[in-house]
Amino acid sequence: MVLELQKPRPIWQIMFSTHHTDVGLLYLISSLAFLFLGGTLALAIRAELFLPGAQIIADAMTFNRMFTVHGTTLIFLFIIPFASAVGNYFVPIMVRYKDMAYPKLNAIAFWMIPPAGALIWLGFADFTWYATPPYSIISAPGPAADMWIFGLKILGISSVLGAINFIVTILKCKHPDMSIGQVPLLAWSFLSSSLIILVAIPTFAAALLMLLTDRLGVSGFFNPALGGDPIAYAHLFWFTFHPEVYVLVIPAIGMMYEIIPRFSRKPIFSYGSGVFAFVLLSIVGFSSWAHHMYATGMSFTEKTVFMVGTLAAVPASAMHVFNFLATMWNGRIRFSTPMMWAVGGIALFFSAGAGGVVNSAMPLDFSTHDTYWVVGHFHLFVMGTIAFGSIGYLYYMFPYVTGRMYNEAMGKIHFILSFVGTVLVFFTQHVLGLYGMPRRIFDYPPIPEWIAMNQIASVGAMIIGVSMAVFLANMIHSSAKGTPTDTDDPFGLGGKYYYPFEARNPHH
Amino acid sequence: MKGMLGLFLLLAVVVIVPVAEYAFAAGDEPGEYVDRRVLIWNLFFRMMTVAFTVGAVVSGTIIWLILRFRESNPKAKPTPYEKEGVW
Repeated sequence: MVLELQKPRPIWQIMFSTHHTDVGLLYLISSLAFLFLGGTLALAIRAELFLPGAQIIADAMTFNRMFTVHGTTLIFLFIIPFASAVGNYFVPIMVRYKDMAYPKLNAIAFWMIPPAGALIWLGFADFTWYATPPYSIISAPGPAADMWIFGLKILGISSVLGAINFIVTILKCKHPDMSIGQVPLLAWSFLSSSLIILVAIPTFAAALLMLLTDRLGVSGFFNPALGGDPIAYAHLFWFTFHPEVYVLVIPAIGMMYEIIPRFSRKPIFSYGSGVFAFVLLSIVGFSSWAHHMYATGMSFTEKTVFMVGTLAAVPASAMHVFNFLATMWNGRIRFSTPMMWAVGGIALFFSAGAGGVVNSAMPLDFSTHDTYWVVGHFHLFVMGTIAFGSIGYLYYMFPYVTGRMYNEAMGKIHFILSFVGTVLVFFTQHVLGLYGMPRRIFDYPPIPEWIAMNQIASVGAMIIGVSMAVFLANMIHSSAKGTPTDTDDPFGLGGKYYYPFEARNPHH
Repeated sequence: MKGMLGLFLLLAVVVIVPVAEYAFAAGDEPGEYVDRRVLIWNLFFRMMTVAFTVGAVVSGTIIWLILRFRESNPKAKPTPYEKEGVW
């Protein structure tokens, strides 16, 4: 099943294949392409904010378009498809089945992504990834806004199809000898996140339709001029997208559950607590959506309920962290590149979580709402935890996909630069938020503290940009000319840590 | 399983109860005078004290684990699972 790139085949054979590893490879390549596209926009945004006043971007409208497409791309076209790539590759192998449950549906789910990406990028909407009403209804320029809505609609359908496939594959297609309690934690993470998708996405699907009909002028659900309520959209949006945070983070934690025991040369400390924490996160993820709306005039009781609901995720998240630390304890740890990314991801996950606790306390939320604190907080999750876990896993799966080894020194340079850059950008943005700088602004007053903090953040972003160039060079060069490796033990850990042995699903 | 649930309950009590208590300090009952700005910043500093303390402990533990259990540490020894060859 492995060595997709070592045995060259015509590209159309891969493109029209329904085999899970081929679809996984397509997901992987497309997600990485969008990572670099979205990352380029991030660099432009940070370059613009290096100093007050217009720098490299012509006007505020263009700036708005750039951060809208940046956020939409990296969340919907990089993180989610990357998780699907990993799931496609490894979930069938982990549950010992020949393929995904519905291979054609799987290929269809992937092939919805390129047209959706094209709609989002060709439209280049300007109303933020939240599609802020009533602006998005009344005055956001079309057809960009409509293209974004259709793009998101298609991506939602793709996610639901993928989720159905993962759930059926894990629950119904696992080997008869394998109980659900023996399914690896990575597969559990896909089961949990897929269940969240099935419950959460339909709400946003409905909201998108309502937004579209509002834009067409045939309804007024969120249009105050027609008696509608933009806050209703906020509820519908966050009912989907707070749980979606867990859809993003749970697979990344699942990937860390694969990496950390292998490189610690020990089994995971507590399989049961990992499963328990995944299931708990997928439930409590639905009890916290309104913490994004403390400032909208909710009652004190509502705010308290959602604050406690949000904090309920803390113990579950902490269980994962403690599980990782206990696994490393008494291990004999090899700090190859995947392990460095995983451990860095744990540290940043904890930091992001600590900031989130502060955010969720409603009196504090009023101080930080819509400031750069929030930007720093969620980027620390998205970049520091999810991207770190994902990139670590990419290095981990690289030998199995290509049959070659990546350049270890370049992988470590990539990690060190990314870690330093991430801390510089996103920790600084927390402080910038406390200084009161609002998010989503093109220009800012020349306050010395704001300028200094923005410059630190921009330098950090450039460091991440350099690290990503190293990453790209490493991936391209090593895929073609890397040292051929022993796919049974590419990291030289010894022993029989599992999946290469089961990785024998022939193409069909 | 019991230990796991115990750990979870302990974490829930340690984290949720104090913060819920803070929330009620916001006090928006009519007639009550609260200087919200002072209150919020006081709360912020208290929470950040907790966050930094816990953060320092966890970060310190991570750093110690990295240094102590790295395979190049002279004290490193094979895990029992390595001897069995399967983990």
